[in-house]
Amino acid sequence: MKINNKLKILGLLLLLFLVCLIALNIGPTSNTLKDTIKILLAKLPVLGQYIDLGGIKESQQTIILNIRLPRILLAALVGIALSTTGATFQGLLKNPMADPYIIGISSGAALGAAIAIVSGLSLLIGFFALPLMAFIGGLFSVLTVYNLARVGNKVPIYNLLLSGVALSSFFSAVTSLLMILNSQEMSQIVYWLLGSFSARKWHHVQIAAPLIIAGVVALNFYARELNLMLFGESTAQSLGVNIEKVKKTLLVISSLTVATAVAASGTIGFVGLIIPHGVRLVVGPDHRILLPVAAISGGIFMVLTDTLARTLMSPTEIPVGIITSLFGGPFFIYLLKQKNIAKG
Amino acid sequence: MEYHIKVENLDFGYYDDLILKDLNFWIKKGSFVTIIGPNGSGKSTLLKTLSKLILPDKGNILLENTNLLKLKPLELARHMAVVPQTFNIDFPFTVLETVLMGRSPFLKRFETESEQDLALAQWAMELTNTWHLRDRAVTELSGGELQRVIVARALTQEPKIILLDEPTAHLDIQHQMELLELLENLNQKNGLTVVTVLHDLNLASLFSEYVILMKEGKIFAMGETTEVLTPQNIREVYNMEVTLSHNPLTGKYNITPIARTSLTTNPVKDTHIHVICGGGTGSFFLEKLVQLGYQVSCGVLNIGDSDWGKAKKLNIEMVEEEPFAPISEANIMKNRTLMNKASYVIIAPVPFGPGNLPNLNLVLEACQQGKKVLFIENQEYQGKDFTGGQASALIKEIRQGGAKFFKEPKDLFAFLEQELTNEKGETNA
Repeated sequence: MKINNKLKILGLLLLLFLVCLIALNIGPTSNTLKDTIKILLAKLPVLGQYIDLGGIKESQQTIILNIRLPRILLAALVGIALSTTGATFQGLLKNPMADPYIIGISSGAALGAAIAIVSGLSLLIGFFALPLMAFIGGLFSVLTVYNLARVGNKVPIYNLLLSGVALSSFFSAVTSLLMILNSQEMSQIVYWLLGSFSARKWHHVQIAAPLIIAGVVALNFYARELNLMLFGESTAQSLGVNIEKVKKTLLVISSLTVATAVAASGTIGFVGLIIPHGVRLVVGPDHRILLPVAAISGGIFMVLTDTLARTLMSPTEIPVGIITSLFGGPFFIYLLKQKNIAKG
Repeated sequence: MEYHIKVENLDFGYYDDLILKDLNFWIKKGSFVTIIGPNGSGKSTLLKTLSKLILPDKGNILLENTNLLKLKPLELARHMAVVPQTFNIDFPFTVLETVLMGRSPFLKRFETESEQDLALAQWAMELTNTWHLRDRAVTELSGGELQRVIVARALTQEPKIILLDEPTAHLDIQHQMELLELLENLNQKNGLTVVTVLHDLNLASLFSEYVILMKEGKIFAMGETTEVLTPQNIREVYNMEVTLSHNPLTGKYNITPIARTSLTTNPVKDTHIHVICGGGTGSFFLEKLVQLGYQVSCGVLNIGDSDWGKAKKLNIEMVEEEPFAPISEANIMKNRTLMNKASYVIIAPVPFGPGNLPNLNLVLEACQQGKKVLFIENQEYQGKDFTGGQASALIKEIRQGGAKFFKEPKDLFAFLEQELTNEKGETNA
């Protein structure tokens, strides 16, 4: 990788860190930035014991460490997951308009979540039921799409897209039906569909983080293959890519990563489409730089939008999916226009 | 001789429809092989099979001494480069990035292209005349530029064998020659084995060492270029009439299409036609007339003339004269007898000089006797006269005598066909 690109990535990582720090500081109970940093540093091993937390209220510490921090970390993780998988699907499907949900993960997860809500499963086995059902629903949907699309040993991309669209609309219809039949839970389902990080705790992060980090790192291993596949499967194969194997690997890793993100936060739209696309306009289509830059940008974008979601109409929370579309759309149009102007 | 690729009993088909049928051949190491054949004859499919992009239903392909079908894509990519016929790219990689991808098979997972890789890419791009495009996006290139970029990428792979599917399809005539000369150069200097599908028979004739001629999924003929590219083979495969002419500048054969071969079989006709020709101007008429089933004669021709050779091959009745000698009285008599038997006399676009002027005299005679004379006007020698005006005067008289003049051979054949149907109509009535 060129030094220039390494600097870009380092700079963005620093920016992500700063954005998280500032987001930690924003909320109904305001602290000084100094206090926030102190609270964080106190948690570090070795160094922590030298930090004097005197004068900072216990409740303040709880809000920062147990309410805002896990929520912000989860938002960053989900942003990273959606952007990376979005870029991967765009490359895999050779379609700049693809998003992480294109082969049916979101509709399957939504159906799973809706079933969890209306069946009262959440009440029975606790907070874990909903994400688990969403995760299972998402993976079930991808598996079905994959098997529908498969022809012998191969998975033609067009088949994959078409089966994804078909199954998505079918699952969405079933979800809608469930909502109509259970109107008292409708708002809960709609709220989940729009996506939110409200009331996410450390246990959410503990489960999601390893899966998402492993998935995103693994996808970065396939940057060169993705580049070659943009030139078509034949070309990629002639340049040494084991097409079917790579396709399957990427599908499995992406699906697990997206399903984890969706289980943690609901079906947040737009991020997985817009961030990779926007980043591509800026850094070009090379996945070796596109994937990491998109991931970090996605993280930054998600932390920012979630901060807006919880503060704009405080104490009422706006589902973050609304914010991502509300702000992401115009920003994207701006990027497109800039690019067109530059091209003449 | 050492083979580079050897194909044994190869079958390929979509469902039950076989596209390649029992192919057996081998490609010599370091040779320049062209695959030709009409649309749908299986050329591209064969190329895809050789590059393992599709797997055959039956048969074996050996690459040097290993089973090509068992090679991993990466192993194959380190040995063989493929230039596909068409592809589209919607993502704006720069030209240099695209060409550097040719190094992918040689790089470890997170390894960046080295200075040597870059130098190799530059070498390939300078050869293909694309270095000046290096910072342009591939999405903004013209079809021809993109084609050259893809060839540059293939060369950056440092292949030992390169497979190309109609690489000249998007190129103008200058770049066609440039590309094929480049391949020829790499073939001769670096021993690169070149296997390419071409549509243009002249380019195939000009550059190939060996030609594989395909028809309906089978190899119709293969071997050295001059053995395969014959009018007979081309007629049977393409249904086209062509003439071959030796091009002394290139030492190769030029192939000129003349007409489509009539697909109906032609019954033997009673009509007798006499052809006056020479210097190769009549070969096509003789061949076509025989093929149409006419009784054909010709003369007077000097022994050794290319039309004489053609007439001998076709076993046509003819009046012969000693090489380069003017036509003798005796032969004029013989030719008059032959012409009297004929219903039509065709005059090919042969230049007339003192030696063959008697033929023209005979034509005038025949014309005045009311015989149908069909004259192909000689565009090339229009206004020139090697007989001090005698020939021109004769031709003028022939024209006044009621001979039909045609600009193109096809008009003449259309006329003959019309005559034939009229005749039939009369007999029926």
